[in-house]
Amino acid sequence: MTEGQHRSHGESARRPRRAGGQAGAGRRADELGTLLTRVARGDQDAYAAVYDRTAGQVLGLVLTVVRDPAQSEEVMQEVLLDVWRSASRFDAELGSAAAWVMTLAHRRAVDRVRSEQKAAEREMRVASSAVAYDEVAEAVEARLDRERVRRCLGSLTELQRESVTLAYYGGYTYREVAGLLGVAVGTVKTRMRDGLIRLRDCLGVDL
Amino acid sequence: MRLGGSDPHTLAGAYAMDAVPEPDRSRFERHLAGCDSCRQEVRGLREATAALASATEVRPPAELRDAVLRTAGQTRQLPPAAAPAPAAWAPARDQRRPRWRPRLVVAVAVALAGALAAVAVAAGVVTYGMQGRLDQTQGRDHAVAAVLSASDARMLSAHVTTGGTATVVMSHHERALVFTAADLHVLPAGESYELWLVGPAGTRPAGMIDAAGHGKMVGPMVVSGLRAGDSVGMTVEPADGSPRPTSPPVLMVSLR
Repeated sequence: MTEGQHRSHGESARRPRRAGGQAGAGRRADELGTLLTRVARGDQDAYAAVYDRTAGQVLGLVLTVVRDPAQSEEVMQEVLLDVWRSASRFDAELGSAAAWVMTLAHRRAVDRVRSEQKAAEREMRVASSAVAYDEVAEAVEARLDRERVRRCLGSLTELQRESVTLAYYGGYTYREVAGLLGVAVGTVKTRMRDGLIRLRDCLGVDL
Repeated sequence: MRLGGSDPHTLAGAYAMDAVPEPDRSRFERHLAGCDSCRQEVRGLREATAALASATEVRPPAELRDAVLRTAGQTRQLPPAAAPAPAAWAPARDQRRPRWRPRLVVAVAVALAGALAAVAVAAGVVTYGMQGRLDQTQGRDHAVAAVLSASDARMLSAHVTTGGTATVVMSHHERALVFTAADLHVLPAGESYELWLVGPAGTRPAGMIDAAGHGKMVGPMVVSGLRAGDSVGMTVEPADGSPRPTSPPVLMVSLR
């Protein structure tokens, strides 16, 4: 059984996390959080600095999910404007500044690909599921230039990696992922969770 | 607590990756609201996804930078939320109760339903007038345009109990609404109208209405952070706003 199904996800998952990404976010992340606090007060210089630190990652993620460059640039601008408008909503208690920005970015990207216009196209892709994973994986591979992330993704089981890749980089819902991979919905849910837990632990303190 | 016959905790991973569509998402968020360990887990998993995101970095076209910085300079910022930012973070249960109780909210909403029906007759006229006004803002206000052009944009109108009419264009897709009002009762100095989003995620401040607009046309104001099950409410508050409503609502519109 390559999936590690025998492993109890419940126990390891509910254990309170070590500092991990939250406390050990590092200087760069702290700086981003401090900048966001200034942005919340309308500081445009701080906003320019936030832009410079995040725009590349936001666009990279959106491109991976959305694919179309013109649309991706639109979404990226929406995300950066979200950051400006809602900087006051960032709460360092709830996670790192980077996670806050990338969550906004991912949500926007996913909304774009799930919009009605795209729905039909995606349905077709789900129908020809053999293509989808390779397609997503290829797009990701081309962009995955962080060795540590690559290594940690490599430490997942095949099904965990496929589930996480299709959901996060492909923007598919867990039901769609189940359809694409031809496995039960419940299995996909646990693989996504186990996969992310393993990633989180592999990526360790310097998230 | 069990959800849909299976352990709801297993959705945490899919949720952290925005892979849970409605209505499952709302159900899971309700579960999160009462589950500290789940919220903590989602936070940790989101940090992991942020690392996945960081690995895809590209160099953005230089011209986008100027465009974004310029637009930001012309875009109004949101006030701090009492609850965590809805779109990005797991909702935390409000510790303090809102001054008005959910049952009252329902009662007000029911009372307003009649008013809404009456307004519906005039809706065509309102729509037309609104559209003209709102069109003017499209060029400069990105956020307004995003809501108005959303495929699921919907318009609702309601009377304000103390006088005036409010019109809301909402989009769940954009998780935002555009608020306008006309002929609001002019308040004494030191008081102003405050908007709220009220729903399963708690009661969140949604912005102050500039006193200059009382008695005239107000807005369009963009309120983001709209969540499933929200209503938009309005109360009279001290001019600098309250973190929590301190008076009964003069307006309550269900956005379902």
